Order: sequence, then C-alpha cells, then structure tokens
Amino acid sequence: MFEIFTYRKPINYVIMLNLLAYLIMFCNLKPYNVETLAFGIGIIVMICITYFIILKSNFGDEYLFLIVCMLISLGIIMIYRLDNNTGIKQAIWTAIGIVLFFVTCMIFRLIKIWDSLAVCYMVTSVFLYLITLLLGRNINGATNWIVIGGQSFQPLEISKILYILFLACYFKNPDQLFFRSSKYDEAKRIYLNKFILVLFTFINIFFLMLQKEWGSILLFFLVYIIVLYVFGKDRIFFLCNILMTIPVALFGYHFVYHIRVRIDTWLNPWKDIAGKGYQITQSLFAIYSGGYFGTGLGLGRPDMVPAVNTDFIFSAICEEMGILTGVAVILLYMLLAYRGLKVVMKVKSKFNQVLGLGITTMLGLQTFIIIGGVIKLIPLTGITLPYISYGGSSLISSFIILGILQAISKEDYIDSDGEIDEGE
Amino acid sequence: MGILTLLMNFIFVLIIYCFIFSIIRLIYMDIKSMNYYYRAIGNGNFPYLKLINQRELLNYKVEEAYLLSKDSTIGRQDKNTIVIKDPYISGQHAQIIIKEGTYYIKDLGSKNGTYVNDKLLRSGYEWKLTNGDKIRMGQVEFLFVDVLAKR
Repeated sequence: MFEIFTYRKPINYVIMLNLLAYLIMFCNLKPYNVETLAFGIGIIVMICITYFIILKSNFGDEYLFLIVCMLISLGIIMIYRLDNNTGIKQAIWTAIGIVLFFVTCMIFRLIKIWDSLAVCYMVTSVFLYLITLLLGRNINGATNWIVIGGQSFQPLEISKILYILFLACYFKNPDQLFFRSSKYDEAKRIYLNKFILVLFTFINIFFLMLQKEWGSILLFFLVYIIVLYVFGKDRIFFLCNILMTIPVALFGYHFVYHIRVRIDTWLNPWKDIAGKGYQITQSLFAIYSGGYFGTGLGLGRPDMVPAVNTDFIFSAICEEMGILTGVAVILLYMLLAYRGLKVVMKVKSKFNQVLGLGITTMLGLQTFIIIGGVIKLIPLTGITLPYISYGGSSLISSFIILGILQAISKEDYIDSDGEIDEGE
Repeated sequence: MGILTLLMNFIFVLIIYCFIFSIIRLIYMDIKSMNYYYRAIGNGNFPYLKLINQRELLNYKVEEAYLLSKDSTIGRQDKNTIVIKDPYISGQHAQIIIKEGTYYIKDLGSKNGTYVNDKLLRSGYEWKLTNGDKIRMGQVEFLFVDVLAKR
C-alpha cells in the first residue's frame, strides 16, 4: 500500500508541486480565497485520474504524459495566479484537451488509412486558410482568429497538424506520392512530386504571411527543412531549399515593415523603450527581478509585461518562481523531445517515423522560438509556448499532437511483441 | 515572513528538480539497458531471455535481455544469477538448466508459479525450451530466443 508514496514515482512530485503552489498562492494573495485551494485540489484529482487511466489501460509510453503533466501544472498555476477566471478557463480547456488526447489515441490506432489521405490534408488545409482569410478577426495584431458562438479559435493550429501529416505521407516513399499511375517517366515524376512538395510548403507560408504569423512561418519552414534533411534522398534538392531562403529572408527584411521592426527591436530594444521595445524590455526586467528563486507566487508584478499569459508566460514564470524554474522548464521540454525521438527510433513503419519526428521537432522548435524570443536570444515572434501558454486552440492542438505520438509509441510496443527475429 | 517566502520558493524549485532527476534516472536506466541488450546479443551464439513487458511500467530494475551462457537461477534473492526484485517472484523462483546444448526450465517451488506459453509449470518438472517460448513469472514476461535455432 505504501508503495504508492515512494520517492521513485515522478507523479508524486507533480502532486506535491501543485499542493505547495496553491498553498503559497493562498497565503500570498490577499484577501484569502478558499477557492484557490479547491481549484488546486480539482487540478490534482484531474491529473491523478488521467495518469491512472494511462497506467492501467497500457497506453504505451507513460513518460510523455508525465512530462506534459508537469508543464501543464506550471502553466495553470501561473495563469491562475495572473487571473483567476482565465485560470479556470485554462483548466477546462485542459480537461477537453485530455479527452481529445485519449480520443486521438484511439482513433489513430483504429483507423489505418492515415497514410493515404495526402490530398485530403492539402485540401482541408487550404480550405481552412481561405476561411480564415474571409472570416478572420484581428485579435492582438494577427488576423487569424475565427469567432464561432462567442468562442474564438485559430485554424492555424489545425493546419500545423495537417502539414505534418502531409509530410509523413510524402516521405513514406520519398518523391513517389503523386502521379503513380501516370505515363510520365521516372525522372519527370520525381521532379513533379518535388514541385508539389515545395508548392504546398509555400502555399502554407504565403497564407501565413497574409495572416502576419511570422513565428509560425519560421516553425513550418524549419520543420520542413529538418524532415527533408532526415528523410530526403536528394542532397542537391536540400541545398537548393536552404539557398532559396537567403534571398527570401533578405527580401523580407528590406521590404516588409513588420519583420524589420522585429529585427531592429531585437538588436537594440533600448532605443525605443516606451514603444516598439516595450514588450521585450519589460520581459527582461521581469526575468531579472525574479533572481534565482523568484519573488514568490503572488508577490511579483508580472502583469507589467504585455500578453503575459500567452506569449510572455515564460518571463512571468521566471519572475515569480525563479530563473531556476525557468531552466527546469527548458529541461522538461528537452526531456519531452528526447522521449519523442526515442519513440521514433523504435518505430518500424516509415509513415509513423516521419510523423513522430515531425511532431517532436515541431514541439521542440516552437519552444525554442518563443523562449528564445522572450529572453532576446532571437527576434521575438508571437507564438504560444506549448502546454503552458493560455489558449484553447493551442492547447487542444498540442494535446492532439501528443495523442498521435502516444499512439505511435504504443504501436512500437505491439511491433516488438510479436517479433522474434531481432539481432541478426 | 521574508525568510519563509524564500524557504517556500526553495522547496518549490527543489520539487521540480527532484521530478526532473527522477525522469533522468529512468532515462539512464533506459540507455543502460539498451547497451546491455546489444552487448548480450552481440556476444555470439548463446540464447537469451528477452523482456516483453514495457519496462517503464515496472517499478524495479529489469534488463532488456538476459544472456544464458550457463545454468542460471531466477529469483528475488541476491544470490541468484538473474535477480528480479518483483514482489510476486519468490526468493528462488525458477532455474534454467543446460543439458548437452538443450535448455530446460524448472520451477523451484515458487509461490505464484511459472508459466510457459500461458501454461502453469508443475513444480519440479523440466520443460524443454524452444525458440519463441514465452516465460511469465510474477509481473514480468520473457521471450526465449535461441540464436542457433534460427539459423
């Protein structure tokens, strides 16, 4: 019975952390609010139930979810501290996300035709972009929100998943996806396939440019390059892709006003501290004022930073929980990427390999782009920190991605069960 | 009050790092067992026991593969050749005997029994192992892989 409380079970640390955090918040936030404790207990119960289900129903790799549990906990704690109502909303989104996580996991394993739907992914993706273009609302500077029944969401988050699925279809048999039954000869077919790959990537980038989503453009492009590097057969094609970016990037810097502002504020945010450099300098002040162990939950002033519960949540975490927690968050993402890559290494099917690699690199790069932006390592681009930032659509797409990864990890165990002829 | 806050923050950070270390410990075990596995297989012609379970779900140390180069005993006590700290495995659970190149498994009067291909092994009976036999004891399940039989 007492084995449940062993120090070796990582889930116990997640529970302890939540208990402590909500206790600190209860003490520090005046007036005293019993709801804080109730909310904390609710979160703990939710995490425990989910973990129990994963453990009992043999869902494959359990550590993926444990790491995400820790990240989610930190995110909800921080958002609840910033604003109670937003915190409760985030908890509800998390609950929906977890349900979707299980559903995705099941569906992905039950339906086996994911690798033959490439055209569907492309059409749906373009359709979503067109809808966004027609019905999009402008919230916080980017025109990529759709409001349905008072609830706003970003179709972009779904396009991300569709793009990875498309890449997985394409690289299952590199350069053989389309025109398989046509009369063209081999060389021409490969050439046309590559053309479609590049074309679809650039359609994505073009629509994102219209939405002014610079961070996502970077994300899509880097995922494309990495997947091409790992699974592509043609070195020269890869080099061409790299070289092609240089003129595009230079063009963007010289002729697109937004990009130039971003890069200038990155090089010297102090020049226009009250205007364009305000966000980034406030973020740096916040990180600095936290010190090693932070000011304590509820005792700092993270609300000085604009967009603190979405893009700049990392600086809020650094301020109130300390830079050591910030480093811990980065370590957690590294571990998540490690688990993802380990799943990919063991998987046999090519489609799942590409899919797993795409998902892992997408999560890792998204973290790098936003944390790098917040600490002024790279130019700042607005993108959410997966699993921590506030935002329904971002959270849900992250959970769907995790569900796919979990399903793949399970598949890998099924494979190794029935297999004897290893180690020849 | 200031000291109390600092202490609380300190504990907070400590818990997160404990969590990370517990995960890293598992990763360490992961990589270590992977190395052992390849070493065991690369070692030549001896058969080995391959773990079928998902090792992450077991709360004690189990290798991915155990090489059977000599007579071995399996159990919870440290004097066994293959030590598995599973609470459902007896102190001395089972024995693997080599007679003229053939492998036999014998149950040593264990409390929860040894199952070969889902059939309970009678105590004292020597079952002749062939390539692909599944051996289950306690919570762990192994696959008997005979390298020579496959060639």
